[in-house]
Amino acid sequence: MSTSGQDRPFADGFMDDYFAEADEHMVAVRRSLMTLESALGSTLPPAALEDLFRSFHSLKGISAMVELREAELLAHHMESCLRAARQGSLTLTSTNFEVLVDGVRMLEHVIAARRASTPPPSIDAMAETLEALGRTGNEVRTETPTANNTRTNEPASRSGGARWWRVTFVPSPQLVERGVKVDTVRARLMQLGAVQNVVPKVVPGGGISFEFDVATNDEAQLAQWHDDGLSYEPLDGPAPAAPAGAEPADAAVVERPLTDLTLAGSSNVVRVDLARLDDLMRLVGEMVVTRSRLEDTLQRIEAHVPFQEWRALQDHNGRLERNLRDLREGVMRVRLVPVGEIFRRMPFVVRDLARDNGKRVHLELTGQSTEIDKFLVERMMDPVLHIVRNAISHGIEPPERRIAAGKPADGTIRLAASTAGEAVILEITDDGGGIDIPSVAQRARSFGLVVPDDGGLDSRALLDIICASGFSTRDQADRASGRGVGMAVVRDTVEGLGGTLAVESRPGRGTTFRMTLPLTLAITDAIIAHVGDQIFAVPQTAVREVVEVDASLLSAFERNELMPYRGGTLPMVRLSHVFAMPAAHRARHHAIVVGSGQAALGLIVDRIAGQREVVVKTITDPLIRVDGVSAATELGDGRVVLILDVAALSRTRRQHSRVITGVSA
Amino acid sequence: MVRAALGSLRDATFVEAGSGLRAIEVLGMEPVQMVVLDLNMPDMHGLDVIRFLRSHDRYRDLPVVVLTTRGDESSRQAAIDAGASQYLTKPFAPSALLSSVRELLDARVSRRR
Amino acid sequence: MSETSVAALASTPAAAQAYILFGVAGTTYALRSHDVLHIEMLEHVTPVPNAPAFVEGVVFSRGQVVPVINLRARFGFERAASTLRSRLLVVQHDTRRVGLLADESREFIRISDAAIKPPQEAIGGLSGNYLEGVATLGERIVLVLSVREIVETVPTAVS
Repeated sequence: MSTSGQDRPFADGFMDDYFAEADEHMVAVRRSLMTLESALGSTLPPAALEDLFRSFHSLKGISAMVELREAELLAHHMESCLRAARQGSLTLTSTNFEVLVDGVRMLEHVIAARRASTPPPSIDAMAETLEALGRTGNEVRTETPTANNTRTNEPASRSGGARWWRVTFVPSPQLVERGVKVDTVRARLMQLGAVQNVVPKVVPGGGISFEFDVATNDEAQLAQWHDDGLSYEPLDGPAPAAPAGAEPADAAVVERPLTDLTLAGSSNVVRVDLARLDDLMRLVGEMVVTRSRLEDTLQRIEAHVPFQEWRALQDHNGRLERNLRDLREGVMRVRLVPVGEIFRRMPFVVRDLARDNGKRVHLELTGQSTEIDKFLVERMMDPVLHIVRNAISHGIEPPERRIAAGKPADGTIRLAASTAGEAVILEITDDGGGIDIPSVAQRARSFGLVVPDDGGLDSRALLDIICASGFSTRDQADRASGRGVGMAVVRDTVEGLGGTLAVESRPGRGTTFRMTLPLTLAITDAIIAHVGDQIFAVPQTAVREVVEVDASLLSAFERNELMPYRGGTLPMVRLSHVFAMPAAHRARHHAIVVGSGQAALGLIVDRIAGQREVVVKTITDPLIRVDGVSAATELGDGRVVLILDVAALSRTRRQHSRVITGVSA
Repeated sequence: MVRAALGSLRDATFVEAGSGLRAIEVLGMEPVQMVVLDLNMPDMHGLDVIRFLRSHDRYRDLPVVVLTTRGDESSRQAAIDAGASQYLTKPFAPSALLSSVRELLDARVSRRR
Repeated sequence: MSETSVAALASTPAAAQAYILFGVAGTTYALRSHDVLHIEMLEHVTPVPNAPAFVEGVVFSRGQVVPVINLRARFGFERAASTLRSRLLVVQHDTRRVGLLADESREFIRISDAAIKPPQEAIGGLSGNYLEGVATLGERIVLVLSVREIVETVPTAVS
């Protein structure tokens, strides 16, 4: 860090912030550790693991910003350990828990040393231990399975010139009684020599046998085990290849692409751990915050910097903002996954539903490798399922009817995915009887909906009608399809994601539902806050922390309220006041701390209701473009929740306070 | 723990197999209505056990509930693709396992009808 | 959300067009059905702080954030509580989508161009600016509104 005279106060101020924040996190860390320690040996409370993970993550981040490398590294490794623990791939035992505790202690030393401006302790050994601990968790994750396990690359050498035998073991209840089970056999064989390719087989009559390929010179021993259900025969040739019918290298989905990579030579595809993607997103979010702090500072120094330089700074800042936006979008694109994820369940669903409905259905899937945002995959699963169910229960006719109509007895449902520019199109087509338009029109009229007499409903109107909630042409809409109610939700889901739903019906020939979805989504984490009877969302990236406010601690200073915070005071703004809402003066509030240093601000809300990942819908209409609100989202019930523009709120407030208190920039 | 979760199933006998190979061995010797299977097993991975089962008529319709620690899509899909009947992520609520098992058993019964 | 749909019409006879009729404070107004995207029952409207007084708030309509103009307030009437008959007419103008909150909306009819007379100078007041014309349908007087005027000639939000 530069230490020119002009920078010192700034850097120092920053370090103060760092120490204060680090202290906070360490307090939380110690608290989490205590909770976890008392739960060792039984189920660890996930909340504590989550808190601890977040604390380490935050410590890593802030340590990186002040370039305290030792702290960053320690926090990073401990974060990995916690990640593994959260996922369940690392079990915290008293032993490795101690390692964590030591790690935390070392982290404290590092921070204390920096505070005292003394050299930090050597962290190498500790870092290595922690890294190893974090790695065990991750290694288990790759689930190294193989159908014919114990396949190693060494057999030829390991067998050391021994012969290969195919040993067959046939289990039986008598053998089990004697204690001879397949795992005992395996253990024995492994002691004898290299074991490769363990393959279970079904024998005629329904029993099971196991075949082991064993390399050994101790044929005598093999012979001795005859009474234990073992028979053997020589296997000629070099190390046995994978038996036919086995599925090499694709035993786990995780492994398959790796194998493809190595076999294909060079590939342009990289498989990415979703957790890393989320980390990337978070980092980008942090960069966004840092940049906006930069912007704040720029505004503050405007008066102190020669115009030329200041303009240059502004330009750089603007460019940085644009770059960050692009980066954010770029990372979002990495979240794209094949739409096939949605399709994969379909064969099973279709098979079961067809059977239940007495229909015969053939399923075609195309375009499975078309990519959409991972978020969409999860949200679209149900709507697609719903439409497919409808197609089977209502669309496709029973075989006899189909044959009578000159169609093949098997109905066909086709799921197709494709891209068109910035959108992904999902189509579900069936070759059933199409939507019964006269009956739909009839039903619509009975509801009081307006339908032209000539029955010429166009696609849009047709869709509107079948999506009207409560609408169904079957009085007892099968619970499974719940047609009517379900279609309304399907459309809401699709449109809520920024897409469109359309239907095309060909009487007697079939129906097609087409869903068009945007390729990229603006998704962000947001803190949800209640103010009065309103709900607001604050983007996570703008939030430094959330604190509880004791009304008694607030002191008024001219037109502002202040609260003791981190050894200083924090100006507070009541959102209820900013938004001209009736204020609820409670004893306790929550406050969202935004901004940093001099520009830090506490936004007082009634209470925080948690954090959610939300889809951001920008507000463009001039009628509703107000200061402090930049976008909106919804939390699942269809109600609009406004997303606050924290930077604008801070600016407005600062302007106000400048005017009021007469303090110049 | 699985046994405890399913303890309330009446007329149920449980056989515990400590590994994939053992599980198959048991299946070969006793009439089993349902399998609750962990994926991370030392000698033979759960997915391969399932694939083996599904490739033989005898076990093709055997309900298999898979338990694993991974909760994400690809594991779930892999399990379903391999032929698992249901999939639960650890830690699971005992009631979830119980209802999965019940569901599958009922389905089996009704299919036979 | 439940809604009544606007069924598309087959091509209309030469000199008449389709209109949606709706009521605000006892007066019947008409909008070309071509401009109305859909009509919905009003569900929750989220107020937008510091927006103009006649902006009731925002709602989601077809996945988009749509401002809701309270027509009563817009036309200078006293606000009234929403009832089961209240309707939200979502209209399109250029690229904007705006919701208009009316007391009721039940009909759509065809009005021949000939039946619409230009608004007289005498009809002044706020309402006057938004009228395209006045139609007399038998005993009824229907005020034909211009979407553009309602949606565009709006003072920008006060900052």
